[in-house]
Amino acid sequence: MSQIAKHTLRFFLFFLVQVLVLNQIELGMGIQIMIYPLFILLLPVDMSVFSLMLISFALGLSIDALSNTFGLHASSLLAVAYFRPMIYNLFAPRDGYDILMETNIFTLGTAWFVKTFGLLIIIHHFWFFMLEMFKLNEIVFVLQKTGLSVVVSILICILLQYLFLRKKRSNEV
Amino acid sequence: MRNFLAFIRRFRVFLLFALLQGIALTFYFTFLSFPRSQFLTSTSTISGTFFELKHDFTKFIALEENNTALQKENLELRSRTIENLFRLENGLVKVDDTLHKVQYEYVPAEIINSTHTKRNNFFTISVGAEQGIKRNMGVFSSNGVVGVIHYAGPKYSIVKSCLTEKVNIAVMIEASGEHGFLKWDGKDSRRGTLTGISNDSDVDKWSKVVTRGSAGIFPEGIAVGKVEKTDVVEGMPLWDVTILFSENYRTVQRVYVVKNLLKEEQDDAESHIPVDVIL
Repeated sequence: MSQIAKHTLRFFLFFLVQVLVLNQIELGMGIQIMIYPLFILLLPVDMSVFSLMLISFALGLSIDALSNTFGLHASSLLAVAYFRPMIYNLFAPRDGYDILMETNIFTLGTAWFVKTFGLLIIIHHFWFFMLEMFKLNEIVFVLQKTGLSVVVSILICILLQYLFLRKKRSNEV
Repeated sequence: MRNFLAFIRRFRVFLLFALLQGIALTFYFTFLSFPRSQFLTSTSTISGTFFELKHDFTKFIALEENNTALQKENLELRSRTIENLFRLENGLVKVDDTLHKVQYEYVPAEIINSTHTKRNNFFTISVGAEQGIKRNMGVFSSNGVVGVIHYAGPKYSIVKSCLTEKVNIAVMIEASGEHGFLKWDGKDSRRGTLTGISNDSDVDKWSKVVTRGSAGIFPEGIAVGKVEKTDVVEGMPLWDVTILFSENYRTVQRVYVVKNLLKEEQDDAESHIPVDVIL
């Protein structure tokens, strides 16, 4: 499958899963599962930050349009796209990234994934919940929501990759 | 000029980021305070149809609970019909009632999309301006208050539910008539808070809280919840009242929208209150 078709398909899958499934799940204690930052992580390494931002803006706005958040998801996903190159540089492997390789948990290892994606999703969730509350005196609740949701979101993202990416990897290698 | 171009080139990434961020945040904050367009909301035709489809698949999940609630309401209404009453006269007296005039009309609607984990939760319902829905109409279900219409699109509307920070529905404690406003602290979808209840009188636990009907948005006496606990507000003669909602916002599906036929008259009369007297 060509790269563009693959990522376009993923775009719609992440969008549908977030809107139809994850938005409807309530775990209590302010946990809200948001996995679509994984889509940004899986985009090619050599993609320019401009395209990243435009794509993330489009995905964010589509999710906003169907969850009555009026721009919250777009704003926080934009932050993910903006910080992705910096964080990628921060945790770059010794001999740099292979631009043909997809950056996922199998190609770069669990430690890299947890560090990189962890940081991105903390930025995303904190940005989201902070804007949602928009009150500094509720910072404890914001941190509680961020902390708990980050853990659940990361676990689900790891699980998703084990479920859907493993086979592709064995074909490629 | 060259410096300026160099500046733009140097910070082009950040500038695009700031621009898109500005667009997103402007959407968010203007829509939260006053909605102007249906762009980016679930009332647009595409997303409305989308949710209608989704709702067709998921509406059966809470069907049992909703049916029980409707049956309970039917039972109560049935007990009020004239056939239930024993006739003391035998048809000699005919009443052509001129003392009562219809004030409220109700439009049935279905919630096709809802959230309950966010700080401000909006529900999408399947009626809109074409059915005469306007901003600031009340929405309730057979169990209790649900919210207020925030934005009415042509076929779908968004309800600002009781699970938003500033839902500000005028409510009162049924027994004492003490009144205040309903708020939500964003933590528990089963509990809300009342502000403005004076601590002159005690508030009994489990006393019923109903709508006050003062703003003309809801008729008087629609259930909201029951008082769960009262706390003292530091330095103010007020109770901080926590209530348990009578409606379960996670499963509610069938709702009614309140059309107040005398609302314009009330607003018109209230607009004559001289401003300098208030200030």
